[in-house]
Amino acid sequence: DGVAVLPAPQNLSVQSTNMKHLLTWSPVVVPGEIIDYSVEYQGEYESLYMSHIWIPSSWCSPTENPECDITDDITATVLYNLRVRATLGSQTSAWSTLKHPFNRNSTILTPPGLEVSNDGFHLVIKLEDLGPQFEFLVAYWRREPGAKEHIKMVRNGGVPVLLETAEPGAAYCVKAQTFVKAIGRHSAFSQAECVKLQGEALSL
Amino acid sequence: LKTLHLGSCVITTNLQEMRNGFSEIRDRVLAEDEIIDVRILRKMVSLQDTEPAGQCCLLRHVLRLYLDKVFKNYQTPDHHILRKLSSLANSFLTIKKDLRLCHDRMTCPCWEEAMEKYSRILSHFEELKPREAVVKALGELDILLRWMEEAE
Repeated sequence: DGVAVLPAPQNLSVQSTNMKHLLTWSPVVVPGEIIDYSVEYQGEYESLYMSHIWIPSSWCSPTENPECDITDDITATVLYNLRVRATLGSQTSAWSTLKHPFNRNSTILTPPGLEVSNDGFHLVIKLEDLGPQFEFLVAYWRREPGAKEHIKMVRNGGVPVLLETAEPGAAYCVKAQTFVKAIGRHSAFSQAECVKLQGEALSL
Repeated sequence: LKTLHLGSCVITTNLQEMRNGFSEIRDRVLAEDEIIDVRILRKMVSLQDTEPAGQCCLLRHVLRLYLDKVFKNYQTPDHHILRKLSSLANSFLTIKKDLRLCHDRMTCPCWEEAMEKYSRILSHFEELKPREAVVKALGELDILLRWMEEAE
C-alpha cells in the first residue's frame, strides 16, 4: 500500500440543485503531474450497521477532475458520508471526509421553466424536464378581475400539456412549482406567464 | 412513489426505484443460491395473508431481519452489486423509520398472528447455514417487494 505522502483533498462540499448532487473539493496540485481522485460513499445503513464499509462512487473512482456527480449514488433520503483521496502513481493521500453528512432532502428546488402556447382555442404549456422524481403543480387563471384560479397536477415535464379549452381573445396567466415526493418538498412558484389567445406571451 | 396501506399505518416509498435496482443484480444473486427447494418467505406467511392490522408489524420485523442479518452479512467484490444493495438497504432503513413512526402512534400493533408468522420466517431463515440463508434471502427480495407492492 502506497505511503500517504500526497496531501489530502480539502474543502469538500456538496452543491445540490433539483436533485442533482455534485461533490467538489480543492484540487491537489503537484506541478507537472496529473492527480487522480477516488470518491467513496456510505449511506446511513452502512454507517449504522457496517461502518467499515465504504462504497466506490459510480462515476468517480477514479477521476481526474476535482468534482464528482454523485446523483446516482444518493438513492435514498438518508444521511450519506462522502470521502475523497488523491492518488499519484503509487502514492496515495489520506482520505478526506465531508464534514457534515449529506441528505438529498436539502437539495435546492428552483421554480420550473415554463412555456405557454396557444392555437387560438387551447391553452397549452410545456414544463422543464427535470427528471422522473419531479411532478408539477400548475396554477392558471383568466386575466380578469375576480377570476378563479385553477390547479392541475402534471406528472412529467418536457411534454406539451393541454390546460384548458380556452375562449378565443381571452387572456390567461399560468405559473408552476415543482414537487418532489421522495423528499416531500416543493419549489417556489415560477413567475406568472400570461398569453392572449392568438396573441404573444406577455411576461409580467 | 407508492403509498402502502398496512392496516391503519400508511407510508410512501420508492418501490419502483427499488424494483429497478434489484432487477439489475437479481440474476447474479439468484445464481449463488444453491438450495433450490427451500423458501424463507413462503405464501402462507405473506403480508397479504395477514390481518391488515398486523401487516405493519410483520413488515417491520421482516425489514429488521434484512437490515440486521442479511445486507450486512453479504460480501461481494462486485461494486455494482454493492451499490445496488446499499441503495436497497438505505431505502429499507427509510421504510423502517416510517414504520417506527406508526409504532409510536400506536398504528403498528404486534399481535399473535403477525408474531407467529414472523417466527416461522425466522425459523426458515435459521434452518439454513448463515451464508446460504443470506444469499437466499437476497434472492427473495423479489417476493418482499411484491408483498409491499400488493399492499398499495
